Amino acid sequence: MAGGVPIPMPRRGSGSRQSAGNKKRRRFFNLATGFDMHFFVLLMIVLVIGLATLYSASHVYAFEYDGDSFFYIRKQLLFAAAGLVGMLLVSMVDYHQLHRFAVLIWGLSIVLLIVALFMPSKTGIHRWIYIAGVSFQPSELAKFALVLLFAHIISLNHKKMKKFLTGFLPLFGILCITCALVIIEPHLSGTMLIAMLGFVMMYIGGVRIGYLLGVLGAGAALVLVMVVVLGYEQDRIAVWLHPLESFANEITFADGVSGRDHAWQTVQSLYAIGSGGVLGQGPGGSRQKHLFLPEPQNDFIFAIFCEEMGLVGAVIVLVLFALLVWRGLTIALKAPDKFGCMLALGLTLQIGLQVAINVAVVTNLLPNTGISLPFFSYGGTSILMLMLQMGVVLSISRQSRMEKI
Amino acid sequence: MQKEQKSTATTRTPTRQMRFRARVAVLLVVGVFFLANILRLGYLQIIEAEDWQKRAVSQQLSDTVVTAKRGPIYASDMTPLAESADVWKIIMSPKNIGGCDWKNLEGVDKDQDLTDDQGKELIRKRIAEDLSAMFGLEYDKLYAQTLKTGSQYEVIKSKVEYKDKTAFTDWVERNGLSYAFYIITDYKRYYPQGSLASTVLGFTGTDSNGLEGLEAKYESVLAGVPGRIVTAQNGIGDQMPTTMEYTKVVDAKDGNGLVITIDPTVQMYTEKYLGEAVEATGATNRGVAIVMDVHTGAILAMSTKGDYNPNDPFTVTDPTVLEMLATLSGDEKSQALSAARQKQWNNKAITETYEPGSVFKVFTTAMGLEENLASEGTRFTCTGSYKVGGWDIDCHIRGSHGSLTLPEAVSNSCNPYFIQLGLKLGASTFFKYFNGFGFTEKTGVDMTGEMSNAGLYHGAQALAEYESSLATAAFGQTFKVTPIQMITAMCAIANGGKLVTPHVVSHILDEDGNIVSATQTEVKRQIISAETSRRICKILGDIVNGGGSKNAYVAGYRIAGKTGTSEKRDLIGRDEVVASFSGFAPADDPRVAVLVLLDEPQTEIRFGGTLSAPVAQKIFEAILPHLGIEPSYTNEELSTLSRTTPNVVGQTTAVAQNKVVNTGLKATVIGKGDTVLRQVPEAGQSIPAGGTVLLYTEDTEGELVTVPNLIGRTVTDVNSLAARLGLNIQLQGLVGGSSAAAVSNSQSIKEGEKVPKGTVIKVNFVYNDIEEN
Repeated sequence: MAGGVPIPMPRRGSGSRQSAGNKKRRRFFNLATGFDMHFFVLLMIVLVIGLATLYSASHVYAFEYDGDSFFYIRKQLLFAAAGLVGMLLVSMVDYHQLHRFAVLIWGLSIVLLIVALFMPSKTGIHRWIYIAGVSFQPSELAKFALVLLFAHIISLNHKKMKKFLTGFLPLFGILCITCALVIIEPHLSGTMLIAMLGFVMMYIGGVRIGYLLGVLGAGAALVLVMVVVLGYEQDRIAVWLHPLESFANEITFADGVSGRDHAWQTVQSLYAIGSGGVLGQGPGGSRQKHLFLPEPQNDFIFAIFCEEMGLVGAVIVLVLFALLVWRGLTIALKAPDKFGCMLALGLTLQIGLQVAINVAVVTNLLPNTGISLPFFSYGGTSILMLMLQMGVVLSISRQSRMEKI
Repeated sequence: MQKEQKSTATTRTPTRQMRFRARVAVLLVVGVFFLANILRLGYLQIIEAEDWQKRAVSQQLSDTVVTAKRGPIYASDMTPLAESADVWKIIMSPKNIGGCDWKNLEGVDKDQDLTDDQGKELIRKRIAEDLSAMFGLEYDKLYAQTLKTGSQYEVIKSKVEYKDKTAFTDWVERNGLSYAFYIITDYKRYYPQGSLASTVLGFTGTDSNGLEGLEAKYESVLAGVPGRIVTAQNGIGDQMPTTMEYTKVVDAKDGNGLVITIDPTVQMYTEKYLGEAVEATGATNRGVAIVMDVHTGAILAMSTKGDYNPNDPFTVTDPTVLEMLATLSGDEKSQALSAARQKQWNNKAITETYEPGSVFKVFTTAMGLEENLASEGTRFTCTGSYKVGGWDIDCHIRGSHGSLTLPEAVSNSCNPYFIQLGLKLGASTFFKYFNGFGFTEKTGVDMTGEMSNAGLYHGAQALAEYESSLATAAFGQTFKVTPIQMITAMCAIANGGKLVTPHVVSHILDEDGNIVSATQTEVKRQIISAETSRRICKILGDIVNGGGSKNAYVAGYRIAGKTGTSEKRDLIGRDEVVASFSGFAPADDPRVAVLVLLDEPQTEIRFGGTLSAPVAQKIFEAILPHLGIEPSYTNEELSTLSRTTPNVVGQTTAVAQNKVVNTGLKATVIGKGDTVLRQVPEAGQSIPAGGTVLLYTEDTEGELVTVPNLIGRTVTDVNSLAARLGLNIQLQGLVGGSSAAAVSNSQSIKEGEKVPKGTVIKVNFVYNDIEEN
């Protein structure tokens, strides 16, 4: 795929595509061409593995605490099914329609984030909105909203991207607003993901590297000052650097909680991964899911997968995710316009980044931040949003200049 | 068309930069981040996999220890001294209370309408109420335990005995609470003989590990190997589901048992008389008595008074200490309490040292005889004091002993005599024997806490340098030894000159009673010749028969021994002594040695001869017959000891029995009649005290015994043989002080004849050593 010269491909209905050019009014639905089957099949494989893993990881926990082995998988299947239908529907919509909704959706995400802050919470964490017994995480929407708005702005203002005032500043401002609302939820990992996503899109969109590096440098310095000088997150860092010592209560923690409790999740995760070895304990063979690893259906689900399927299974899943991202890149590069390109990139890179950070956390390569594994971790909002976003990517693929099956 | 498309493409399609940067971004995320993750996974799952697995397995397996039964300790006659009995530990599983139905509770109104929570509450209250009453526990604490619903292991009560356990299981049954409780077998240590030999046995802690004495010394033998039950468990301690089940059982191996050399009868008498003496003399620093087999080093009895009851070791037994403790409070009290406990637990016989005083003169004597520098006839003069190295050392009497022979000096315990003998021996010779008798090393007795007296005696150089040191050491002052060192050395004097290793464990038995190992007599070295040994035995025997140690005299036995009264010179501002006696019996064929030591007696007269020798005398008198050492009376003793049989024929059985016993003889009634029809021996016969008179109350033939050969035997032999067969012996022909050298040369009834039990046989004795004298 080296080089940027578009290769004209024979296609069905090329004429209609032609008519869908800038002058003509677009139709809402676009079913003129099929979507990218590679991407779709990869996605389905990942989804099936993810759902199977969710059942394996959650059934013991679900039976113990909810009295129903199928508690999590049933809900997840429902949302995944709804998501699948939604994805197929979305894939039929001409993604250019999203131009109209970009600002609106972002505005909605900001409103919902603010609403979430006013939701009653026992823990002091305001990440959810509850409507009629259904909970919803606005930060899931915020990720999509940010990607969409950035793609929208970058595609429209592409020529002004190099300039500070017209290129960098508006995007940075939007990013700051979203991040600020997510960080005060508080949701550190969500903030980090959104920030990374924003920066990557700004970079791809053509913002001067100097500005990005400047902000990144300042951010890094700020984080360094907060951690090293002001002593923020010392407990988290102690667990990160010395998990076993913390677990053995050899380290004193400032908040008075025992090191064992602090390090419990991380250490149990490492126990699980290490126990898996190269070939794993076999499907369903995890011992750590028997109430050792807390909430094995959530952020640390990959540890159980590693225990059951070993290094081989883990590498296969990572390769599948990598292929998915690579296929998303192909779709983006072949997209007919910058909007499609930026949108497809943003949505697939979100998955790539989330996978990379999640696995790094589970293996204790990064401190424990609480980030879910796409298509694996339990979460209705998450799976639904992911599927809909993949629908958008598929929609873009319908117009990409690439061979369809 | 083509052109338009191209221009559209250039304006709307992604730019070259965008495409490049997109590839860079994806490469960064996928290439770098994913690769880093894969490397990390590889590190965890290949290189560190085994470590993580081990850690994970250690939490995934529940390892329950199965207690091993601690081995018993038996006395030499297999009397149990320490035993482990089954007890039980009651465990509650609050988590499973939910599995019980409140309607099963005894006497509950089943018709009331309760919610689940109310039902559980009812059960919790019932458990707390009933169990607090049953085991005397606090209601609140129990109730709090029932609320720990995450727990499955709440210890309610440990060491529950059989009766209480049965009551408990009945209660569980009656209330339908079997889900919520389980019991685990455990063991509890008992000492059936109470405080007997407590300082020897020691005791165990709450987890049944030996803390003192043999229990501590032989911990590895007695403890056994705990078994294990390893099962797979989940994160909250429950069993894994059947597909993950894993159970491995390693049976506990019960501990081995000990058979010790302590003879409970000897120990009992030793404790009795020592205890009486400690109480009577008010010895503030306790007393020690040891009885040892002189040939094997087997400790037959070892007692420290005051001691404690190993069933309840933490209770202080000394009433004066208790009084003192009652006046204290706070830290002071707890310190004093722990000091008092430590003191009563200490086996003084091996853990403390003392200055032996005049008892040591026995060893100085042995050195002189062995080195041929002195003999029984060697004379030194006592002028009441002796000047050495610029010091005047007084004898213990006012005035002087004048010129003395060696036996006289021993008998009178003359300090100047032994100073002169010591100086004649010289430092190097003196130290050679001091070392030889084991006074510079631990005896190696198989008990915990044997104290080393290193630094508490003069080395060869110090003795050579300071004459006064040699002079005082020669009569037993200015150095310290442990009681066990002293009696071990005394055994060497008695047994022909061999220093043996004292021991208290004779056998180790496995759980089926098979002998695993047996202690062999260990002779460390020969220090003096058998001849020297025999000569000292005679000197020491003579002084008990009329000399300075005569308070240890026991009729029928030749006791050898020496008393000592040593100043406790290291006490500042207090004038205290150690009154001791060390000796052995019989003097002509030593079998057992006895050491009695009273530390800081508070009586007016506090000589070893007046305080300790009588204790030893009582011990000897009680234990020698028990140990099968038959008395051999002197003629003089016999005249006071022979009894004339009374006439009881025609009298009622009770009166007859009484009359015989009052004469100093034993009565054996044969038959069930009311009146004595016949007696054997007949009235008017002279037989030794303690002989048996058979009283026939029915017209039955007496049990016949075959007369054995009684010729060519010693008095002791004849007596013991006759006693065994139930015959009475009239001894004839004995003259002079001792019967030891006499041998029988005739018997009044021939060997092989059958006579009724109780028949008197006259046996004549002659002395075989007349020519030598």
